[in-house]
Amino acid sequence: MATPVNRVPQPTRAQAAAWELGAFLRHVDYLLLLATGGLVAYGLWLLDAVTRNDVPGDPDYYVVRQLTYVAVGGLLLALASAVDLDVYRRVRVPLYGLALALLISVFVFAEEVRGSKRWIELGFFNFQPSELGKIVLVVVLAGFVADRRQRLGEWRTTLGVVGIAIPLMVLVFKEPDFGTTLIYGAIVVGALFFGGAPWRHLAVLAVVAGLTATALLWFLPSAGLEVLEPYQRERLIGFVDPDIDPSGSTYNVNQSITAVGSGGLDGRGVANATQTKFNYLPEHSTDFIFSSLSEQRGFLGASILLLLYAVIVWRGIKIVAVARDLYSAIVAGTVVFALLVQLFINVGMTIGIAPVTGIPLPLVSYGGSSLLTTLILIGLLEAIHVRGRLAGAR
Amino acid sequence: MALRVGILGVLAIVVFCALFFRLWALQVISGEHYLEDARNNQIRSFGVLAPRGSIVDRDGDVLVSNKPGTLVQIWPAALENVPLGERETMLRRLSRLLGLRVKAIRRKVEERLESDPLTPVTISTDVGELRTAYLMEHQSEFPSVQITETYLRNYEQANIAAQVLGYVGEISAEQLESKEDQGYVAGDRIGQTGIEAVYDSYLRGVRGVGRVYVDALGRVTSEREFSQLPEAGDNIRLTLDADLQRAAEEALAFGVRLAHDQGEWAADGGAIVAMDVDTGELLALASNPTFDPDLYVGTVEARDLKKLADRSENVPTLNRAIAGVYPAGSAFKPITALAALQEGLLRPGEVIQCTGKEVIDGQTFKNWDPYKNEPMILATALANSCDTFFYQVALRFYERKDSPLQRWSRTMGFGQSTGIDLGPEEKGLVPTPNWRRRTFKTEIDRIWTSGDSVQLAIGQGDLLVTPLQMTRAYAMIANGGKLVEPHLVKSVEEPRNEGEPPVVLRPYTPKPPRDIGLDPYALRVVQEALYDATHASYGTSQSIFGGFPIAIAGKTGTAEKYVRLPGYEGVRDQSWWCGYGPYEAPELAVCALIENGGHGGAAAAPVALQVFEKYFNVEPGTYTVTIQQSD
Repeated sequence: MATPVNRVPQPTRAQAAAWELGAFLRHVDYLLLLATGGLVAYGLWLLDAVTRNDVPGDPDYYVVRQLTYVAVGGLLLALASAVDLDVYRRVRVPLYGLALALLISVFVFAEEVRGSKRWIELGFFNFQPSELGKIVLVVVLAGFVADRRQRLGEWRTTLGVVGIAIPLMVLVFKEPDFGTTLIYGAIVVGALFFGGAPWRHLAVLAVVAGLTATALLWFLPSAGLEVLEPYQRERLIGFVDPDIDPSGSTYNVNQSITAVGSGGLDGRGVANATQTKFNYLPEHSTDFIFSSLSEQRGFLGASILLLLYAVIVWRGIKIVAVARDLYSAIVAGTVVFALLVQLFINVGMTIGIAPVTGIPLPLVSYGGSSLLTTLILIGLLEAIHVRGRLAGAR
Repeated sequence: MALRVGILGVLAIVVFCALFFRLWALQVISGEHYLEDARNNQIRSFGVLAPRGSIVDRDGDVLVSNKPGTLVQIWPAALENVPLGERETMLRRLSRLLGLRVKAIRRKVEERLESDPLTPVTISTDVGELRTAYLMEHQSEFPSVQITETYLRNYEQANIAAQVLGYVGEISAEQLESKEDQGYVAGDRIGQTGIEAVYDSYLRGVRGVGRVYVDALGRVTSEREFSQLPEAGDNIRLTLDADLQRAAEEALAFGVRLAHDQGEWAADGGAIVAMDVDTGELLALASNPTFDPDLYVGTVEARDLKKLADRSENVPTLNRAIAGVYPAGSAFKPITALAALQEGLLRPGEVIQCTGKEVIDGQTFKNWDPYKNEPMILATALANSCDTFFYQVALRFYERKDSPLQRWSRTMGFGQSTGIDLGPEEKGLVPTPNWRRRTFKTEIDRIWTSGDSVQLAIGQGDLLVTPLQMTRAYAMIANGGKLVEPHLVKSVEEPRNEGEPPVVLRPYTPKPPRDIGLDPYALRVVQEALYDATHASYGTSQSIFGGFPIAIAGKTGTAEKYVRLPGYEGVRDQSWWCGYGPYEAPELAVCALIENGGHGGAAAAPVALQVFEKYFNVEPGTYTVTIQQSD
């Protein structure tokens, strides 16, 4: 009979779970969580003020709905941070298939809203597949690149990444949703960049993208071939010269700049923010919410918002560094880069330094799909942080 | 990897710096400027139409009032924002709904786009209730279309006095340019002709002006704040008597039919003026053919308007009473007689032979009655309308180098405007030797001959008068030699509720009647002659007025005029009758004219009689009337 030697007592299941939970909680990036929570709360407060006059008789219409999304989004964030990212890596092919199917289904089921088909009605919630597509694209491309870490110098890998992204991008572009297509592009760039693709590949891609843009905006239309909707083209060209037609295509930008500028240092307050109140600002609860908050809260209010974003981005960059493996690092880097691009395009368009493309301000704009997606992405960052710290601790 | 993470960090710093700097520049450095922009954004001024004043007759019977109407308007600027395909479909639907041509709508919008794209252009007025309701219910399908309440003119007495009242229409670009300093703005409705135009400044009222907060789509988001409340326009009380006016218009129509019955196929219109002999107040001012002013209310069809100004319809919009010019014919003889007496060229008792014809300087001039051959004094010659008598008088005028007949004609108001408060008015023409010299090219035409004097003396030749001028001259004879200022408006009154007594804001003050310095004895001679003309057995309208219970004095006229009608050119007789009554205490002067109506006694005199019947409340058929062909 063997003598039991210093047998370590096996922990009970409950003990193990408690230990794991303790480790998990010890390694959560609380600063990121705090900044995210702060931003969401700040966003709710702003949204409340911005949408006071939007639904007659129901000043809380938007806030109540957004609060629901925040509650669901918080749960999803927690869930996403708990799940090991390797799970997505393993199921990335079915995930890709699902995203593709959902984006195609938009063309079948979606009702046209203001000229574009983006949403699938689920009764309680208008679901926007292109937002979910962002998450899928991130994990799919990261997995694809990480699997080919030895062959990163080859064009096959780079073109493979582009090839995977293109069907999704084309579908989103045809909805049409130019802004989200741009974010997809940022995800592609992020995946290649953080995966370690050679500089010359990135340079060639940049040139190709530049040529495509030129063709879409100028050459093909002059040859009679319109790929972009006229309003999209006008807005993009209008970005170059906003005074072309002040009442037409660049109307939004000019009204938005007026709103932002009129906010001054400390804002005009909710009651006096006429640009928002009287609807001069289009889409002020969604795409142009930054203009509204700038009008109401001024430079100080806008700065608080930007600082909270800066904290998130700073923590995100930290997380790229502590990621336990290349796959996690690519995911983290891509998420941060995409967030940064989206932030820049959204805020930039409201103050006239980026073209008007109609994408929401992450975590702040009204809208469930965008909020949930961004919270899940933050959850991914937390998951990477926790596991990177755990790996480092061992 | 570390390098790439570093690059991301740098990129993040760059992005945040760019956003912060730009925000700083916009909000802190240029904040004031944008604040100003934002303030200008939200306030929009608006105008509210004031209800237009009513036009009532001398007894307060309403001739024109307002009725509520619906305007369909398009904001040109907003229409431009509608995608092209959608815009076309919408315009097509709108045109079908309103029964208009797409082309017409598009043209209106395009015109306004060029001039003033922020002012809505009126596509249609007076849209029916059903269509309005449809547009309201489907407003989202008609972007840039707006429905506005408005006031439309309501002609309460059918179409009487159409040319006098005139019509109201949207202000034209030219009118706007000349009247902008009077406070007119684009889209205003303004009196275009007649009383509506002349007294527009009273009738229009004061437009309400205010401010309202609007959103970017122009949707109103606040209560309206008035800086000027709309003030209803003032009412205009006319001197017209609606009943007499209607009788006059019916009489004209009757006169035209009567002339046709007597073979005057070209008779196609006429005019009646009825005037208070002492004040110049016009109790009736009728012109035939006439039109329905309701045509101008609501959506005006170009087709209908064309008809109104068309020659083949004999230009119904022309007010013949003030703007139709005709030779006066024998109705002018009292003027000639007065001038001759006044100048001492003729004594009242002087006897001149009235013959069937007269040869003067080798030219033969006929009498209307070729078988006449008897001595006459002035009174008889006037009553019988002997032409050859007046040829002799004319030769005496011809001898004088200072054209006394023309001078007296002008003094009695011919060849110049009467100053009536209605337009446009024609001056007519009193031909003089000077005028001949100025006007004609060939030597022969430029010489004033004895023939010209002969023609003028009997109201022929180049003389042109308006019915209004003639009426005023007869009123002058009736009132003892005073020239009055004819006018149509009695007073401007404050709008009141029904049943309340009117409040006069401004009475119309015509120029006081001007005594032109006629010898009372000469006047008496002519007055008696005019009485004889309607009562003596040899009077030219004795058969018409002889039996009338009220003593009427007056003169017929048969004026030859060279006319161009569709398919006919030649000389036709213009039928005149001018006179007044009661003879002893004159109240009303009346002139009736039937264009191409034949003899004065045959068409115009019976027409004038009907006006007197109405005025004096005499039942037709209670006395004898015989219609005869007489000059």
